[in-house]
Amino acid sequence: MSLILVDDLAKSYGRVVAVDGLSLRVEEGSIMGLIGPNGAGKTTTIKIILGLLKPNRGFVRVFDEEPWDNPDIKPKIGVIYERAFFPSRHKVFDYLKRVCRIFGKPESRAREVLALTRLEDAHDRSVKALSAGMLQKFAVAHALIKEPRLIIADEPTSNLDPEARGELLDLILKLRRDENVTFLISSHILPELSRVCESVAIINKGKVWAAGSLTELSEKLGARTMRISTDNPEALGELIRKLEYVSRVEIDGRGVSVGVVGGEDERLYEDVPRLAKKAEAKIVGIETGTASLEELFRLAVKSGQGEERR
Amino acid sequence: MRKDRPFLEIFTYALDEDYRFPILEIFAFLFALGTFVFVDLGAYSGQTKEALAYSLVSTLCGYPLLFIFVVLILKNVAYGLGSDLDRGVMQTLFSYPLKRRYILTARLLSGLGVALLLFFGIQIFGLFLLAPDVILTYPSTVFLTYAAQLCSPVLLLAGLVLFFTLRLKRGGLALVIGVVLFLAGLIVSGFVTSIAYGTGSDLSLKIWAVINPNSALQRYYMGTSGFLFGGESWVPSFSELLLYLGAGYLIVAVLFIVGYIYFDRRLEI
Repeated sequence: MSLILVDDLAKSYGRVVAVDGLSLRVEEGSIMGLIGPNGAGKTTTIKIILGLLKPNRGFVRVFDEEPWDNPDIKPKIGVIYERAFFPSRHKVFDYLKRVCRIFGKPESRAREVLALTRLEDAHDRSVKALSAGMLQKFAVAHALIKEPRLIIADEPTSNLDPEARGELLDLILKLRRDENVTFLISSHILPELSRVCESVAIINKGKVWAAGSLTELSEKLGARTMRISTDNPEALGELIRKLEYVSRVEIDGRGVSVGVVGGEDERLYEDVPRLAKKAEAKIVGIETGTASLEELFRLAVKSGQGEERR
Repeated sequence: MRKDRPFLEIFTYALDEDYRFPILEIFAFLFALGTFVFVDLGAYSGQTKEALAYSLVSTLCGYPLLFIFVVLILKNVAYGLGSDLDRGVMQTLFSYPLKRRYILTARLLSGLGVALLLFFGIQIFGLFLLAPDVILTYPSTVFLTYAAQLCSPVLLLAGLVLFFTLRLKRGGLALVIGVVLFLAGLIVSGFVTSIAYGTGSDLSLKIWAVINPNSALQRYYMGTSGFLFGGESWVPSFSELLLYLGAGYLIVAVLFIVGYIYFDRRLEI
């Protein structure tokens, strides 16, 4: 069952087109990542899904219902924004108790979510006195109070320290495993997304550029990572960098890591011996791997720049 | 889950935000107390009993006190609602299981409704202490005077400021616009009389009475203070007075309905 269904969505702010014909589907029990460069349309898409913005065109259903001004779906959706927005004069526990009352949950739920997010020490602190990281944790606690079936998170880890990030990612995996909670997560921190997400939608220029699991995307886009071991990585790396079908070149002491786009890995196999000869480098070995999320992200950005040039 | 619970919680949240530092309210209370203590009933001795009732109520809710309450209401509507929009708290409120119009109602009930209750509480209490016979003998005059004062400037400005707040999503700016409009209203009321005097026509007075029914009420109870237009001064009849008051409230209703429709169907955050 699809908890979120978006089809041919379009949204403009005056002359600026934020989303243009975007389609997306989030299945129950899945963790989907939403990635794309700044201004790609991720936040606009999330806001439309949450009923905060009205699309100019297109079809949006969340739990099979229209999200705009629909109180019936609110208890099922937890929201975590990049910047948490709460009435700042309340104390942490008092506000969570208020939210418990709003959603008809017992007060004990407020204690549970404080424990889940490791905010017990901030129990009596004013919301406005919380640090950015603690406020982000508070936002997570706030989202969890209603025991939602779907959590939509826009850059949920952006203000967290590495330890807290790890804890949140563990919590996401736990909720998915134990309570079958569905997640739609937008983030720039790609290694984290690849740790938790089963599928990814890459957005660029207001459209879904590609969607699927990492393996599917790699297959579909022909994106590969190649590792060339050599005794002269600098010279070889510089020559490889000039190849048009290469998206990324990283040079280290023992070799060159290359991102290859559009199913061109065979071509690189052919070009490497020629370039190695020119660079006077000895090839020790070549390994091929699935492209990382970062690789796919770069591809999307590159494709967007290409469109711009056209 | 009880349906009224989210409404009550948002209402109490709004009360918390609107009345946490009741400086304006204390100031208004002290000013009202001063007015009640120092009001000179002998000054109204030459008037009819009805005119006296009107004068007394007008004095009690006269401009300094009214100004304080107008600022309080504008602060609550513009700054309270505006900062919820500006700071993003409205996004959080929209994640609660309540229709948008009820969220706005809870916010306005606190910002506007409770402020008006305070205002009228102080007024009626003072009036009962000072001149109970006025309320008991001329309840309709007392009611009409308060109704006119409430219509304009209070509700008219609140409706305008509500719309500006929602459109601009900036409480501070909407608050400034509200205060400027209030002061502009005072200036315009002076010009209107001059225009009527200069043109010899009472049209400007009648148009102004639609926006500010209290000016019609003043003419009805107090006469025209010697201004003549072609030998005749404009004094509305009682039924005309009710029409002007009705028209004033119609404008207020339209402003609030537009605000609600905008909040319900168009407001994007």
